Amino acid sequence: MISIENLSVKYKSDSDIYTAISGINLMVPDGGTLAIIGPSGCGKSTLLKVVAGLIPDYEGTVHINGEEVNPKKQTIGFMPQNYGLLPWRTVYDNIRLGMKIKRAPELLDRKMLKKLMRQLGIEGLGHRYPVELSGGQQQRVALARVFALQPDVLLMDEPFSALDAITREEMQDIFLKLWHKFNVSTIFVTHYVEEALYLGQRIAVLSANSGNISMILDNPLFGGKDIRQDPEFFAMSLKLRNTVKKDWNQAWEN
Amino acid sequence: MGKLVGMWYLLAAVVLTAIWFVVAQIVDLPIIPSPVRVVENLADIFMQYIAIHSLYSLWRIVAGLLLAVVVGLPMGVLMGYFPKTDKFLAPVVYLTYPVPKIALLPILMLLFGVGDLSKIFMIFLIIVFQVVVAVRDGIRAIPTETYYPLYSLGASFKDIFFEVLWPASLPKFITAIRVALATAISVLFFTETFGTQYGMGYFIMDAWLRVNYLEMYSGIVVLSLLGLILFTTIDFIEKYACDWQYKN
Repeated sequence: MISIENLSVKYKSDSDIYTAISGINLMVPDGGTLAIIGPSGCGKSTLLKVVAGLIPDYEGTVHINGEEVNPKKQTIGFMPQNYGLLPWRTVYDNIRLGMKIKRAPELLDRKMLKKLMRQLGIEGLGHRYPVELSGGQQQRVALARVFALQPDVLLMDEPFSALDAITREEMQDIFLKLWHKFNVSTIFVTHYVEEALYLGQRIAVLSANSGNISMILDNPLFGGKDIRQDPEFFAMSLKLRNTVKKDWNQAWEN
Repeated sequence: MGKLVGMWYLLAAVVLTAIWFVVAQIVDLPIIPSPVRVVENLADIFMQYIAIHSLYSLWRIVAGLLLAVVVGLPMGVLMGYFPKTDKFLAPVVYLTYPVPKIALLPILMLLFGVGDLSKIFMIFLIIVFQVVVAVRDGIRAIPTETYYPLYSLGASFKDIFFEVLWPASLPKFITAIRVALATAISVLFFTETFGTQYGMGYFIMDAWLRVNYLEMYSGIVVLSLLGLILFTTIDFIEKYACDWQYKN
């Protein structure tokens, strides 16, 4: 479980203080997913980084399974926007990197790792370097890396945004499959309404200029079969889009 | 591919030797002997006279190089990874970098004597600055996001060093050594003309004073080959250690 209470982050520069996010309250139940949607510059990456343990200077509390965020104690799988693969490591070494750092080679034995790679369709690519892969393949490797860790929480920053529309949908399905299997509490940030609706059990809309949450929505469509074809899905995404738009427009006018 | 590249190198060697040969024929003076005679002479005297000198030179350059790596690499890493360290060290490095190190040779000889130590230290001084600057810049060029997945896993500095800092700066580090090595060999030649009876610099100047041009040329050829061997070794290491750069 991830619980965030009254979280604020301020960036200090030499001359002034800038508030990135303020007064955020969020909860992700065990094995749940939360989508955070918001325009660029609204602080959604900041929020994700706090949960990832990358920003230690924050006010409020952020707990993972009842304990304060600490990358040394918890296993946090963080997938940055550009996949975060090391260009000088082969696919296989990149996937094993997390286990190596956690000093936990027993987490996933060779057989399981192979199985995971096969599920992701990258079993033949182990000895290649990331530059030799397509964007979609790199994304798969990044997914293999975080899931191989069997993390306490999974955090994804604009996970599938660099992919073309068809590959993106394919990756979303692969993600859901793995998520069902490993049952990891997940927070992801996106600016696609459809992605939020498809992958988010719960959706939080981050306001454009105040840095807090303007709406939290329990997604009734989540987990349904072929919901992308469902007229309800269109209706919901339109509704969500309009709400978000209104919220962001208001922010602009203020 | 590898064979073809080797062919081109061989061709270049043949062409350069041919030019030397033609110039020697045209000029027809003892100061430019024909390459054929130089090679003959080299074959005759290498084991007996030159080998020991080349080993001395090789030792000095390798020792200076290793010293520069041992000092320069940690300094570059500290300056590149910790901005605060850079703030203090960068002015020192930048103010001392442009000082022509060779001009410090008299001081070094007074401080460390005319023997090996001052020569090795000279080579160290030439190479170390390039290593520091290259490693620092190499590390600075790493995008911050590269560290995020490692930080969020609670990676230690050791992890960060071996997984990111070292592999990311290695290509720039090797390039710096390659560039600095050319200067270092010239400087080595110069330092070996003082206070020693061993080394290629001594051998070449001694042959010159004895007006034995054939021996002098043999020495020049050996010193050049020494440089070539060092260069190709470094190239080989780079190809092997940074093979990820040559993909795609």
